[in-house]
Order: sequence, then structure tokens, then C-alpha cells
Amino acid sequence: MVILFVVIGILVVLALWLISVYNNLVTLKKRVENAWAQIDVQLKRRHDLIPNLVSSVKGYMKFEQETLEKVMQARARAVSAQGVGDKIKAEQELGGVLGRLLAVVENYPDLKANTNVSQLMEELTSTENKISYARQFYNDSATKFNTKIEIFPNNIVVGFFGGKFEAFPLFEVTEAEREAPKVDLAF
Amino acid sequence: MAVTVDFYEQGRKNVRKTIGLVMVFLVMMFAFGLIIDLIFGILPIFTLVFLAVALIQLLISLSSGKEIVLRSVKAREIRSDDLEEKQLKNIVEELSLAVGMSKPPEVYVIDDDTVINAFATGRKTEDSVICVTSGLLKNLDREETSGVVGHELSHIVNRDVLLMTLISALLGAVVIIQILAFRALITYARFGAFGAATRSRRSSKKGDNSTLAILAFLAAVAGIGTLFSFIGRLSLLAVSRTREYFADARAVEFTRNPVGLSRALRKIVTNSGKLKSANIATAHLFISDPLKRKINNSSSFFASLWSTHPPIAMRISILENRSYQEVRDEFSKYL
Repeated sequence: MVILFVVIGILVVLALWLISVYNNLVTLKKRVENAWAQIDVQLKRRHDLIPNLVSSVKGYMKFEQETLEKVMQARARAVSAQGVGDKIKAEQELGGVLGRLLAVVENYPDLKANTNVSQLMEELTSTENKISYARQFYNDSATKFNTKIEIFPNNIVVGFFGGKFEAFPLFEVTEAEREAPKVDLAF
Repeated sequence: MAVTVDFYEQGRKNVRKTIGLVMVFLVMMFAFGLIIDLIFGILPIFTLVFLAVALIQLLISLSSGKEIVLRSVKAREIRSDDLEEKQLKNIVEELSLAVGMSKPPEVYVIDDDTVINAFATGRKTEDSVICVTSGLLKNLDREETSGVVGHELSHIVNRDVLLMTLISALLGAVVIIQILAFRALITYARFGAFGAATRSRRSSKKGDNSTLAILAFLAAVAGIGTLFSFIGRLSLLAVSRTREYFADARAVEFTRNPVGLSRALRKIVTNSGKLKSANIATAHLFISDPLKRKINNSSSFFASLWSTHPPIAMRISILENRSYQEVRDEFSKYL
């Protein structure tokens, strides 16, 4: 009789623990998914802003047609990219050329004096920051989730649910982004 | 891999702490009233009075919110046609993403170009406000403003505002009882002789005993009240100071950049004046003491008990990983 109660007690405790681990993992997973969605929102905003900026700086930047051209091409590739892998690659490329454009604009005092352009620049700078902060938050949440599903004894619980909890990939800095943008002042 | 703090967990911890604090306080007030009632055999008058005062204070502090603070410091909403103010709004939105807040806080501005300062208020994360002075917008660049906004956002997600509001409300309840007891004591000491005389005519056996008893009773209430409010004030200040260090650390974590915040603090030391619309009640909310009281820059034992903010040179030295003495000497002209 006593043994039966002890066994039932242990089972109840185990079940409660299982439920709490499961719910905790679901909450964390949703947070990571939400963080991912936030990045998408900001990328969309970036795509919308670029044509406006390019068309308003075109007149001033006769010497930088190549840079502008590159930005528009990278944008087109990013918009049409399919699949997560391709998307990440195209967006990183776009981020690189955009960073270069923003640095180049600093060299044109006329441009910086134009309120329309400076407003667009501020919006684009802000969007770039938002993308990197959203990635940072995604990376933090994903790291936390990835750690949670791997530590003992959570990894046993994860095993029960098959493919429901899988580690999320992290954003890493590419070689292109590690390089500081080169600004050509000799024009 | 970077070690990250769980912002959600920190916020929950502070909410738990706050609930615990309120419980302890209510039990304390109950016990305080009960002791007095039992000693003087007038149960349940004081128990009820004290609990009522405590509850009313709690309700007032919970229902009156950010509007009162914003009005008291004369803040206005931002104008989105002004480029600098738009930039501030952008920075707040950017960092809200870094924190993972679903809705960025509202942004307000205090028109005072001579002051560089900022504060956050709002008990709920979704219903919070970040307010900066126009001097901050004019003097600080994007990087520095990001540091300050990161500091304020940390106060919001950690629910520091909730904790601080409640501590000061509870402190207020103790102060009310203390003041009432002192008033009664003085009034009774002055007019007590007359009252006792009229009473002794009715019950001549007890005589002066009751006067003494009432005086002792009022003195006891006033004394215990003073002790409580003293301890309460010290703990409020201690909480306020540790929260500042913590918010600095979180700002660096959000922005991944200690330079922005330390440069902002430097400019606050060298370029900022006194904020006229701030007062003692709102001073602890700001990133740096808006009243520029000397005590907040001293590191002596006495000062470190009574100041609302940690010494600003200490905060800069931590952010820049230099010795406190070195930074202090650098700013000796201003502190």
C-alpha cells in the first residue's frame, strides 16, 4: 500500500516536471519564432526605403553611379531570394553595399544639407540598426533555447517529442561584413 | 559565447520582490497596530486605521501613474517633424527590438537646453514612457543617446519603476502615521492638562494616570513610525542606487557598446545644469541626479547611505574599466 502511494507520488511529480519543462520550451520556441518574424518586418522596410533614397541622391552623386547601381542590384536579388539560406546571403550582401553607400553619403555636404535626404538617411540608418538589434535578440533567444534543449535532463524530454524542438541556426558575421567599408576619397 | 541575462526573468523577479515587499509591509502595519491596540486595550481601532492608511496609499500610488510625473516635470510629447526628436524615437524603437519588447515606450521631451538628463516611468512594460531633456538631444550624438535610452529601457523591462513607486508609496504611509502621531502628541502635551482636568472630574480615581498613558502611547507610535520611515528611506535609496548600476550594465548589454553610455555620462558631468522642474520626489527616477546635489558624488560612508545615485565618476570608471580615483581626478573641477 505504502509502496503504491510512493510510486504514484513519484509519477505525479514526474508528470508535473515534464509539463513544466515542455511548457517552458514551447514559450522559448515561440519567443525565438517571434524574434525571427521581427527581422523579416525590418528587412521589408529596408527594401521599401532603398528606392526612395537612391532616387533622391542620384542627382548629387554623379561619381558614385556604380555604388548606387550595386545597391539596386543587391536589393533586387534580396527581394527575389527564395529560401532561408539564399535570403540570409542576399540580405548580408545588401547590408554590405548599403553600409558603403551610407559612408559615401557622408562625403557630400550638399546631400547632408538636404532635409529630404537626411530624413531618408536617418530612416535607413535606423532600419539598419533595427535589423542588427533584431538579429541580436534573435541570436540571444535562439542561444538560450538551444542551450535549454541540450542540457540534461531536458534533452531526455526533447527526445520524447521527436522533431518538435530543434536547435535554431544563428546569424554569424560574414567575411564581407568583417571588412570595414572602404571609402574612396580621391574623386 | 556571450553570457546573457534573461530580461524576462529579471522583470518577473522584481515583480515577485514587489509583491513580497507589499506583503511584508502590510503584515508590519498590521502588527504595529495590533501591538498598540493590545497594549492599550482598544482593539481593533488602530489595527484598522493603520491597514486603511497603508491600503489607501497603495491604491493611490497604483492608480496615479506616469501622467502625474510627466506633468510635474513639464514634459511634452515629441514632434515627429523635428529631425532630432524623430531620431530619438527611432533609437527608442531600435532598442526596444534589442530588448524584445512588443511595443516601444512613448517618448516625451522636457524643453530645457541647459540640462542633459533622462528618466523612465510607467509601472507596466506596455504602458511606459521615456522622457529626455532637449539639452540631451542637442548635446548627444546617436551613439551616446543609444546608451542613455538603453539604460532607461533596462529600468522599464526590469520593472524597477514598479518597485520604486511602491517603496515610496509605502514609505509615505509610514510618514503619514508618524506625522499624525507627532501632531497628536504636541496637541495633547499642550491641551492635555485641560482635557485631563475635565476627565478627572468624571473619574477622579484614575487621575493623571490616563494623561501619562496617552502621552506614552502617542510617543510610542511616533517613535516606531520614525524608526520605520528611517529604515524605509535608507532601503529605498539603497535599492535606487543598485538599480542604477544594474541599468548601466544592461544598457551595455543591449547596445553591445560601453563607449556610448560612458561618453554620455561624461557630457552629463561637464555640460549639464540643474533641472528646475525636478524635485526630491522625482529625482531618483533620472539617469543622473537632476538636482546636482553634492552628496551624490561623494563616496564616504555617510554619503553612500543617503544618496539617490551612485557617484557618477564611479559609474564612468566601471564603464571604462579604469580606477575610480583616476576618473574622479579628471572631473575634480566639476564634482
